[in-house]
Amino acid sequence: MSRTLILRSRKDRWSIKLNTRVLVVTGVLAVLLAVSSVLALTSGSHPTSVLEVLGTLTAPNQSELALIILEIRLPRILMAILVGAALGSAGMILQGLVRNPLASPDVIGITSGASAAAVLFLWLGGVTGTSLLLAPVAMGGAFVVALGITALAWQRGISPARLVLVGVGLAAGLTAVTTLLLVLSPDATAMNAYIWLTGSLYASQWHDVTALAPWLMVCWPLALIKLRHLDAQSMGEDMALGLGSALQGHRLLFLVLAVALAGSAVAYAGAVGFIGLIAPHMARRLVNSGHTGLLPIAALIGALILLYADWVGRVAFIPRDLPAGIFVAGIGAPFFVYLLYRLRRELG
Amino acid sequence: MLTTPPAKMLGTLLCLGLLLAATVSSLIFGHIPVSLAMLINSLTDYDPGSLEHLVIHSERFSRTVTSVVVGAGLAIAGALMQTLTRNPLASPGILGINAGAMFFVVVGATLFSLTSPSQLVWAAFIGAATAAVLVYFLGQEAGRGVSPVRTVLAGVAVTALFVSFAQGLLILNQDRFESILFWLAGSVSGRDLDAIAPLLPLFGGALILALLLSRQLNLLGLDDEVIRGLGLRVGQVRLLIGLVVIVLAGTSVAMAGLIGFVGLIVPHMARGLFGTDHRWLLPLSAIIGATLLLAADTLARLVIPPQEIPVGVMTALLGTPLFLHLARHVRKVS
Amino acid sequence: MYRYASFLLIVTCLFQSPAAMAIPPVTSVEHALGEATIAGHPDRVVSLYQGATDTAVALGIEPIGVVESWTEKPMYHYLRNDIQNVTYLGLETQPDLERIAWLSPDLIIGARNRHRTIYPLLDRIAPTVIPGDVYDFKALLTMMAKATGRTARGEELLTRWQERVEDFRTRIRQKLGEQWPQEVAILSFRADHARIYYGGFARSVLDELGFTAPASHRQESWGIKLTSQESIPAMDAEAVFIFMEDDPAVQRTFNTWSSHPLWKNLKAVRQNDVYQVDPVTWNMGAGIIAANRMLDELYQHYDLHQPEHQGCPRC
Repeated sequence: MSRTLILRSRKDRWSIKLNTRVLVVTGVLAVLLAVSSVLALTSGSHPTSVLEVLGTLTAPNQSELALIILEIRLPRILMAILVGAALGSAGMILQGLVRNPLASPDVIGITSGASAAAVLFLWLGGVTGTSLLLAPVAMGGAFVVALGITALAWQRGISPARLVLVGVGLAAGLTAVTTLLLVLSPDATAMNAYIWLTGSLYASQWHDVTALAPWLMVCWPLALIKLRHLDAQSMGEDMALGLGSALQGHRLLFLVLAVALAGSAVAYAGAVGFIGLIAPHMARRLVNSGHTGLLPIAALIGALILLYADWVGRVAFIPRDLPAGIFVAGIGAPFFVYLLYRLRRELG
Repeated sequence: MLTTPPAKMLGTLLCLGLLLAATVSSLIFGHIPVSLAMLINSLTDYDPGSLEHLVIHSERFSRTVTSVVVGAGLAIAGALMQTLTRNPLASPGILGINAGAMFFVVVGATLFSLTSPSQLVWAAFIGAATAAVLVYFLGQEAGRGVSPVRTVLAGVAVTALFVSFAQGLLILNQDRFESILFWLAGSVSGRDLDAIAPLLPLFGGALILALLLSRQLNLLGLDDEVIRGLGLRVGQVRLLIGLVVIVLAGTSVAMAGLIGFVGLIVPHMARGLFGTDHRWLLPLSAIIGATLLLAADTLARLVIPPQEIPVGVMTALLGTPLFLHLARHVRKVS
Repeated sequence: MYRYASFLLIVTCLFQSPAAMAIPPVTSVEHALGEATIAGHPDRVVSLYQGATDTAVALGIEPIGVVESWTEKPMYHYLRNDIQNVTYLGLETQPDLERIAWLSPDLIIGARNRHRTIYPLLDRIAPTVIPGDVYDFKALLTMMAKATGRTARGEELLTRWQERVEDFRTRIRQKLGEQWPQEVAILSFRADHARIYYGGFARSVLDELGFTAPASHRQESWGIKLTSQESIPAMDAEAVFIFMEDDPAVQRTFNTWSSHPLWKNLKAVRQNDVYQVDPVTWNMGAGIIAANRMLDELYQHYDLHQPEHQGCPRC
């Protein structure tokens, strides 16, 4: 039996139960992330050494090197971490909610909603190209679609299976709209849109980081506190109700959290797929725990995947800069197929 | 729902009538106005000098034929898939066949510089087959055979896999991007009938095989043990049907690009009217499918002339509301 | 005490040598995304789109960094000789920011439809100028001439262009007589569709030269993509200019469309006024040099005699 650690607030308002293995794994992953980030900071089309990087971080100046490291690379790496973490956690929450190991923000249609809104915006914007309004618009699209999915799937409550099916249907319809807009757009707009649809962190700047971070600061603590209710639900609806869990209310909350996390991530990085699907599974392979413990691990794994994918995109085809989404698919897709193969035997 | 044979016959005649109307509309409507009289004239007394007759014989005729073939093929493939996987939501689009074809076409066009339609047609075909096999195996649940929801989700996953790889290739080869875009969106126009001709015998053969297996298909809805008890070789039948599906769906995608929802919605419509007996279901799915695609193509031409909305987009726009209606009424699936 | 100090200061200043007193001229250039303040005459210029590369070369500048061309990679043949020692920055859609920063440029020119998002970063690296319309090569020339302090040269180029335009208009009016102004359409073929251009670089040059367009082509959008050969009549005009890539799939599409009976019915085809032109200068260059080369081609197609170019080897 694994050893557990229990944190309680005063007056027992809330408590978190952690098992030591979770803590160890989280720690290791966090260290790995930190080291990888520093190494990623040293890579780029302009070679820099670790010493130079550390030097610039501690004593910033106005040189070109500082500009490259602090204004071009650092925000991008931070965005990769934040977006990957957000997608990993969103996937985790959705899989728990829908009780299906193959659910993720892309499957459910959240990503398609954001995509359709973004491409529509780019098409209407025309020659004026991308602008700072793109992210909020994409977020709005994600929420509108999530609302639509909920409304359509609602029949005296949300049934997980129905949620998935409605999501799949809406995703297909929205993809058609997106394709139509791509076909009608002039070439520059179509390419902008296509790159966005693949998921790219190019041109991430500090204002993107400061816009995304607050969403995560709000959603994560909320998720951590409430996720125990997902554990209860996985034991069956009657059990959950018996344990005092407000079933529909919590389901709605988790949906909102997943949409907020995934929507904000996709709004800034484009329609990056797979992370929300794989990170939770990788987390479960490392640790056997309830959802609360799995959340930080899924987030860290998501961050690592996107960090590495973006790293490859930045340095593998210099001077071209390839969207991270391609490499996420390169890592994610085969893993996913392998996963499906493994899962079918495990469920026997 | 029509239950008695005379009622079914009447229903069939009605559907055929609709098909005829759709065919005529497809031949009449378009950028260049053609009247019904001109159409009849062009068939009886063809005048190569007349602009309208030319348009009908070249452009509209090939579109109509392609729409009928592809519409019928997709509808039957969908019906067979739904029976085979025991999943009311199976179709070539959802089960990844379209995406597999897309990926192989993109690979062909970018990595192998394939350009001629006949080459790309084979690439699409192989891609469709690969995806179908992949989804079939991934949709199995250990010990219980094919699981409905797992198959749909496996299809979605395989779709995502192929689509993202294809996207990656297209971004690496940005100049090829614009050349593929229209194909990806689905189109029945300008199809070089000579390029498709080699596929048609295959298509016809698959169609006939499907119709011949109608009786066996009726039994596939039952439990495996019952079927074996009745003397049917389950594995063999499933394999044959699988091959038929791959041929029909694969050739349809190869001919017309990515067209979704026809394979999904039409079998439901046919089932709703004529019941689940495959001897009626298959031919009628074909008729309704052809009608639907003809109607979608005609509509796609009329919305923003002289540009056209890709027909794949049109079927999706028409089909999504219908699909959502279906999805809402699916009872809890295991 | 303080008054004495300031008196000293003024006296010291007055006795400084004129050279040390000279402040480099500061130019302020207003552009689509703001205002750029440029000190002196920038020599280290980075161009982030095709038209800017073309214009820089016309102004006599060899850019230190450019984005790759779309065809004839890495740089179009007509500009290659003037861009020998240049650093390539990747594609126009996502230029390599680190390389740009490391080059330490004095001036960066970008395009609004591509580089709006990275504009804040670019502006931190060097003063950045973003013209409003990618196709307006004259506005681009004026803006770049001002930004690089080569206004004399810029004006010279514009005057020369104006002279050539006038010359062409006179000669073609003489040649075509009653048929002038001629209605022309601009078409392009791709592997899976055909295009009609309603606006853009080539159209603007043709309009300036006095050509007209069919009524249905007078629209706000850039153009349309056609997938059905039935729409061929939409392409009709008295003369037709076509450009396309040298690619077997494109060639096949063109052959299919041009052997269609509806194509043979077009006015331009019947009058044998169908011209295939260079896609690079007509569609991609988008700068003053490309415009001049386009004009050269038109002189050739209409079989008009060109006056000698004087003192302007680059145009």
